[in-house]
Amino acid sequence: MSVVANLVPAQFRLVIPSQTRYLNLVTGLAKRASLVAGLDDAAAAKVSIAVDEAVTNVILHAYHGEGEHSVELELRFTEQALEIHILHSGQGLRNDQITLPDPKEYIKHPRKGGLGLLLMSRFMDEVQFKADEASGRNECCLIKKLD
Amino acid sequence: MADLSIAVRHAGDVAVLLPAGFINAHTVREFEEALEGLVQEGRYTILLNCKDLNYISSAGLGAIMGLIETVREHQGDILLSNLQTNVFAIFDTLGFTQLYRVFSDEEQALAAVAPEKKG
Repeated sequence: MSVVANLVPAQFRLVIPSQTRYLNLVTGLAKRASLVAGLDDAAAAKVSIAVDEAVTNVILHAYHGEGEHSVELELRFTEQALEIHILHSGQGLRNDQITLPDPKEYIKHPRKGGLGLLLMSRFMDEVQFKADEASGRNECCLIKKLD
Repeated sequence: MADLSIAVRHAGDVAVLLPAGFINAHTVREFEEALEGLVQEGRYTILLNCKDLNYISSAGLGAIMGLIETVREHQGDILLSNLQTNVFAIFDTLGFTQLYRVFSDEEQALAAVAPEKKG
């Protein structure tokens, strides 16, 4: 695991192995970063949950649970928002592939899985999936606006 | 400190599960095993006292969802109590507060179940 400080002071990166044992670390970081950005405790908790779901998706689905890969989190602090970019080299998702479950239907027909993306979309202002053309990596971008 | 520890105690017919810490994709198997163990013992009324639960992700919600039909088929239920604000927000955001009975504390939850068992 490594922490890389950028020349731009309003952003930094954390690179972790693709292992769920580090989830607690990244959610703790996301929560603290949210507070630093100026969000309140409730919003910070929501950001940390969204980050957990996004990183879990990368580890379990993009990398199929293989622990020898890397997941990079880039945190960007702007005047308008906190942006958390999660980059990986695994199987990517695209916005047009996302179908969020309907909570009402979900409750009528309980089953495992499918709720992570819904939590991400409800707890963040924007969730984007895209490919980083330059690096060939895939990215999930979570944005929380500062009110 | 471990990410998750789970204590179990029994209050009459109700099994009270007390998860402490974080339920995420890393710890969910432990949580799932605790729930499944109770069901295998024939304990179908389970109260999750979440007073020391700091966090639950969709992995943990899935574990609960995976057993709700089974316990209800056996005239049992999964109840929730003592939810911290952020944990309540997760359940409420997904509409789970309509699916599960939520109580402010364990005493109220146990009282709500007791008459059903007598009746």
